[in-house]
Amino acid sequence: MSFTPQPQGDHAGHAGACGVGEEGCITCGDVALPLQVRRVDEERMLALCQNESGQTETVEIALVGEVAPGDELLVHAGTAIAHLGTKVGV
Amino acid sequence: MKFVDEFRDPELGRVLAGEILGEVDPSRHYKLMEVCGGHTHSIYKYGIDDLLPENVELVHGPGCPVCVMPMGRIDDGIAIAAENPEVILTCFGDMMRIPGSTQSFLEAKADGADIRMVYSPLDALRIARSNPERTVVFFAIGFETTAPSTALTLKRAKAEGVPNFLCVCNHVTIVPPLRALLDSPDLRLDGFIGPGHVSTVVGVRPFEFIPAEYGKPLVTAGFEPLDVLQTIRMILAQLRKGEAKLENQYKRVVPYEGNPAALKVMQEVFELRPHFEWRGLGFISQSALKLSEAYADFDAELKYTVPGVRVADPKACQCGEVLKGVIKPWECKVFGTACTPEHAIGTCMVSPEGACAAYYNFGRYAREKEAVVS
Repeated sequence: MSFTPQPQGDHAGHAGACGVGEEGCITCGDVALPLQVRRVDEERMLALCQNESGQTETVEIALVGEVAPGDELLVHAGTAIAHLGTKVGV
Repeated sequence: MKFVDEFRDPELGRVLAGEILGEVDPSRHYKLMEVCGGHTHSIYKYGIDDLLPENVELVHGPGCPVCVMPMGRIDDGIAIAAENPEVILTCFGDMMRIPGSTQSFLEAKADGADIRMVYSPLDALRIARSNPERTVVFFAIGFETTAPSTALTLKRAKAEGVPNFLCVCNHVTIVPPLRALLDSPDLRLDGFIGPGHVSTVVGVRPFEFIPAEYGKPLVTAGFEPLDVLQTIRMILAQLRKGEAKLENQYKRVVPYEGNPAALKVMQEVFELRPHFEWRGLGFISQSALKLSEAYADFDAELKYTVPGVRVADPKACQCGEVLKGVIKPWECKVFGTACTPEHAIGTCMVSPEGACAAYYNFGRYAREKEAVVS
């Protein structure tokens, strides 16, 4: 399945937050977020993922093996660095 | 939320605090270092230090990627953006506010340099594709958590043939500064709260030298409050039994061997620099990455002339001592007065993961000051 990668230059409504405000930049802070896979583009090794609030981002999945919709990934700087398993009921 | 709610249970937190009390020897002082800035942030956000016995002291380590960035590298980035009108310099959010010797990226942007904030290296590559007449330079920072993302993006740029995408590589590695700290006569530590997300990539194995060569426990920890409390209990239990072992509290995420695919792509794209300057710690051998020969065409440092000058920190700033855990943030002469998150003099006040910003933002300053006054 293919999809158009989310525009991420502007961070409003983005699942990952990188700002200059009080909460700061999660990428600089070495923070990784658990995100759920919605769609997978195997050809380009990208997945559309979303957080609990429904905000989405495009994620590199080359480092975490096979990925399917419903899986949870630990994502840092737009790249999945660990596969956290599959959420039941999705 | 899975992997979050179950690690913030206040009742379990109180149970763990009781168990910690049972592990400590009241006649002894314990000094534990949390290596990662993310742990520093969690400790002050959730008030974890308030749950610990008075003789258990947490010392903040060098694991905040922006805090260790020396001023000279910021000056280099600004020179690339300001002196080359075709350049769009891209970087992560906190980097925008790190002070260089005369300006931060944010101030250089206000003066007309095209500097843009991105969330991921992939965003920077996207900007390069959309602006083929410009050159997009990604100012890469971060430990091994972030380096694979830069490496994958460079691989993608090479495969797609994006000629206008370059990188200034400032990626650093966690083990050399830990060795430097352990060899430092300034600091006597009893154990380490090991970095969680760096270990997701490099695994637990690279930290074996800490118990083996230095006789100190290290427990790799998650970032939720119960993760940190359980880790402290595990370290104190080792110390009570006279042990020094490597343990992994964050097994739900961190495999012992790390992420082999991430390590492989890093090996392909990067090589070790002979030495790199760390703010507050000075030059440390083989502690940072540069682009490998195979990726030399993407190396902005080879394409642009930069000042490359070592710039001393402002005299009033004591980030170096804070980063080494020698002083507490509020003991710095300019903490909370000349240096605040809005007008930071030092890097530790910029990132929320910096020890000074964590103290300042979560009210530790007021409490500590009150204690001293009374």
